[in-house]
Amino acid sequence: MVISAELRARIDAEIAKYPQKRGALLAALHWVQREQKCIPAEAVQELAEIFEIRPIEVLEVVTFYNMFSTEKQGRHEVRVCTNLPCSLRGARQLLKELEQHLGIEAGETTPDGRITLGHEECLGACAWAPMMRVDETYHENLDVEQARRILDALE
Amino acid sequence: MQKAPYVTSYLTEHTGDDAFATLDGYRARGGWEAARRALTEMSPDQVIELVKSSGLQGRGGAGFSTGLKWSFMPKGADKPKYLVCNADESEPGSFKDRLLLERAPHQILEGILIGAWATGAEKTFVYVRGEYAYPAAVLQRAIDECYQAGILGPSCLGTGFRHDVVITRGAGAYICGEETGLLESLEGKKGQPRKKPPFPAQFGAFGMPTTVNNVETFSHVPHIVRKGAEWFRGFGTEKSPGTTIFGVSGHVRRPGLYELPLGTRLDEIVFQHAGGPPEGRKVKGVIPGGMSMPILPASQLDVPMANEFLRERKTMLGTGGVMVMDDTTCMVRVGCVITYFFRDESCGQCTQCREGTGWLHKLMQRIERGAGTLEDLELMLDVAGKMEGQTICAFADAAAWPVQGLLRHFREDFEAHVKHGKCPFPESFEL
Amino acid sequence: MPKIVVDGVSYEVAEGRTILQALDDLGVLMNGVDIPHYCWHPKLTIDGSCRLCQVEVEGIPKLQIACNTLVTEGMVIHTQSERVRKAREGVMELLLINHPLDCPICDQAGECKLQDYAFEYGVPHARTREPRRAAKKRVDLGPTIVFDQERCILCRRCVRFCREVPGTGELAVFQRGDRSTIETAPGQPLDNDYSMNVADICPVGALTTKDFRFKIRVWFLEELPGVCTGCANGCNVYMGVANNRVYRYVARRNDEVNQTWICDDGRLSYKRIGAEDRIDGHALQAPDGRRQQLSFDAAIAQAAAALRGVIERKGPGAIGAIASPHATNEDLFVLRRFLEALGSSQAGFTVPTWRADALLRKPEAAANGAGCRALGFGDAAPLLERVRGGAVAGLVVLGHDLLATFGPSVLETLRTLDALVLLDSHRSELEGLAQVVFAARVPAEKHGTLTNHAGRVQRVVPAVEPPFEAQAEGEILWRLAQALELPGFAGEWDPYAVSRELAAAEPAFTGCDLDSLPSEGAPLRGARID
Repeated sequence: MVISAELRARIDAEIAKYPQKRGALLAALHWVQREQKCIPAEAVQELAEIFEIRPIEVLEVVTFYNMFSTEKQGRHEVRVCTNLPCSLRGARQLLKELEQHLGIEAGETTPDGRITLGHEECLGACAWAPMMRVDETYHENLDVEQARRILDALE
Repeated sequence: MQKAPYVTSYLTEHTGDDAFATLDGYRARGGWEAARRALTEMSPDQVIELVKSSGLQGRGGAGFSTGLKWSFMPKGADKPKYLVCNADESEPGSFKDRLLLERAPHQILEGILIGAWATGAEKTFVYVRGEYAYPAAVLQRAIDECYQAGILGPSCLGTGFRHDVVITRGAGAYICGEETGLLESLEGKKGQPRKKPPFPAQFGAFGMPTTVNNVETFSHVPHIVRKGAEWFRGFGTEKSPGTTIFGVSGHVRRPGLYELPLGTRLDEIVFQHAGGPPEGRKVKGVIPGGMSMPILPASQLDVPMANEFLRERKTMLGTGGVMVMDDTTCMVRVGCVITYFFRDESCGQCTQCREGTGWLHKLMQRIERGAGTLEDLELMLDVAGKMEGQTICAFADAAAWPVQGLLRHFREDFEAHVKHGKCPFPESFEL
Repeated sequence: MPKIVVDGVSYEVAEGRTILQALDDLGVLMNGVDIPHYCWHPKLTIDGSCRLCQVEVEGIPKLQIACNTLVTEGMVIHTQSERVRKAREGVMELLLINHPLDCPICDQAGECKLQDYAFEYGVPHARTREPRRAAKKRVDLGPTIVFDQERCILCRRCVRFCREVPGTGELAVFQRGDRSTIETAPGQPLDNDYSMNVADICPVGALTTKDFRFKIRVWFLEELPGVCTGCANGCNVYMGVANNRVYRYVARRNDEVNQTWICDDGRLSYKRIGAEDRIDGHALQAPDGRRQQLSFDAAIAQAAAALRGVIERKGPGAIGAIASPHATNEDLFVLRRFLEALGSSQAGFTVPTWRADALLRKPEAAANGAGCRALGFGDAAPLLERVRGGAVAGLVVLGHDLLATFGPSVLETLRTLDALVLLDSHRSELEGLAQVVFAARVPAEKHGTLTNHAGRVQRVVPAVEPPFEAQAEGEILWRLAQALELPGFAGEWDPYAVSRELAAAEPAFTGCDLDSLPSEGAPLRGARID
């Protein structure tokens, strides 16, 4: 069982907010993704049962959205926005610097499983570019030094 | 993020005060008074008429008359009706809704309650983009305060009118900002926009009549109810009344948010307010309304920021996301960033969009790296033309327009890549 | 009933229908009115994503998709205007930029809607110089289907089919944008009783059947309209014939019988025609198992002699017959007349059963059980009793369904017979018990009609000639009757004449004879069937 009793209770409470069960699916997927750093096959099966849909219907949702993955991610997700306003202010250089700093390419995870580095589309922080999202926190107005320090502090 | 825009007006004048995000702080500034008046002194139809006569247009990019949209909801209570607050803000260059969520959540909720009263909706789903975890948490706190205070719930403000507000988080897909793509995502499915007809007012969230409005749109409503349609029309232009919150980014000295009346000139926003480009640089081009809107060259910044004027320049207000590019910028690289975005975010249903966004990106890349021809420029325009006006939703149009805009005003950049086989702007941002 | 005008022609259509539905109802879609389309299918929900069916509707500025636009009174539609033409070119070009150049190795070539519409509505040359999307080729989607992701145009018919028809939903589109691919969930292959229909509905060669893969080019095939004989539903098929061989069945549309579908078992039942276990010639069967091949005339003589022996010793009432639910109405009618002319009422039949479902599969695993009942044949059990009791000493048996119903003990019963003449298409243990075995034709080898579970009479046509001596049961019985000098069997065997006679003799069969029967079949009038 990937979905614990507590998580199941939270999912049930979420389901109660919607006229159809399935409205709570994205919330449930977020919680599983946060715990497991991915949506493992077992969770797909369990969620399918909870929401009374087919496993493939869970999978098509998982693969559609950026924030869910079938492959396990690192403990921390670091996403540098590389959309236009951020690129205009050096976001892509920043990402390259961070790739070098971590010794991985964007899209990869550090060998110790600590950080998955990637780019992301516009995060709504255009005036404070360049910036990155680390898990659920935005770090704005970054320079390379600051960014490196933030990454180093992640466990 | 800034606590308040550099220029504020009625929407944001109090956002600098942390307390404004709390129930007490909001009430202290007259908050929730408008909702009380609407629910106790006005009929739903009167509210709709008021909003219609104010001329408020949607602030999510489409600019449709809000009052008219509300009037499409069926009368009668034989089935549940829903409101959706579109907080999916993902249009590149836009970050105004984020400010409203983080700094003025009660203002949004008050607009929602008034809208609910006007349309007979029993529940509002606030669809917040997945990456806005913090703004969603702030809004949830405000919702909880409202429930505790009896402002929301089984008897809103003690009137017997029931309304609930639920936050649903998105999960990273720009297309979920499209009205019916949002509805699909709300229902726990892939965010693939629906064929229309049927329209959401007939068949919306979970099959029930639904109206979708943007965060900022809801935020204007309490002010209209409090101070009237005439007052609202005192801001902006005749066809585009009210203020909006412009977000300025890119090569300017003071990027940030600016709440200004619609119709403020673009050059005033870029130069007076945002301070113009950095020392020694000149403005080359400005995208006026978020990345879906065609770019304007520096020579055309004298345009008032309202749709009736922007349309004449073959662009639109969109979400007011003003992106400034100075003269170091290579517009072909800008094209690569833009076409990559649309290729990545296409939901993939319609042939023109799925294949067209891919083709445009591949063409743009090939031209950027110096392997393009002059025929490729015509080909890009032709492909963009084949994408327009023929798809389930407007995403394909949004993907086509920027390419048309870039070629309309910056063909020299493209021709330079073709002729010289490389980028002629050594200082331009890298890809 | 709203009236619409399409390309200047007025049509009266049903309320509440879309343009494509309305034109399809009238039978003019792609048959007089030209609106090419991919994602729309008459028997699936509306998708609206391929965008190929766009047409001009007067009064509406943008082109409208005909699949999702409801008809209104006075609607004026243009399907051949310049705008529509350019829109179709656009869709076709965009579909082709990522499509692999697989035609030389793709099974769909020759019946590919991408080829057809590209030729008809597309631009003649490719403008793209970009690398095409690379995706998985030769995906083993399940026991029956091979999938090529690169060829897929994402019309999503297959996804909708699996969700809406068998209800198994094995397929889905993963990811988004131009990375979208059709997938199955790990460990959950495409595996249902109707899986091969996805190959029929796939407009391109993305979904093809393993069974037909690389067998023959479709332009060599003659597609003859036939009927599946696997069960009592009688799904309509096209038999793909070349070199005197049936290479495949594909579903043929009949809204009264099988919509546009057929179950996998039925689709593969064409293999029974050319199967190894066909009885490949008439024979004299010795009790020790020795078979002596006979010519038709010789076999008739032998059979007549055997039966005559019983008639002389015990009278014509000692001859009985087991009818076959696999034989045509005409064959069965001749059998009835044979018994009547003989002066015997000893007849019966039995039908094997198989797993049925709520979709198309009917419990009776034979195509003409209803025909047997309509022609007055009853259950075989009482007849077998009389065989055991000795009252019936000679039996003409059509087919070997007795084994399926009554089990091997029926062999003991049949061993007590003085004479057993077997007419059958496929081998069985009954052969060893018969004195004379006649090789019978299957429905795909003869002219005739079959009656399905709902009393619908449908035509079969001879698609192939058996590569050995075999006749229709009706012809065998006709000649046997002549050899026994029974009255009423003058002249050559003529299934059309017999068919006319049947319609005249049985009011239920009015209009169901081979001359009158329309291509979609016709129902029996009132009837002695369940």
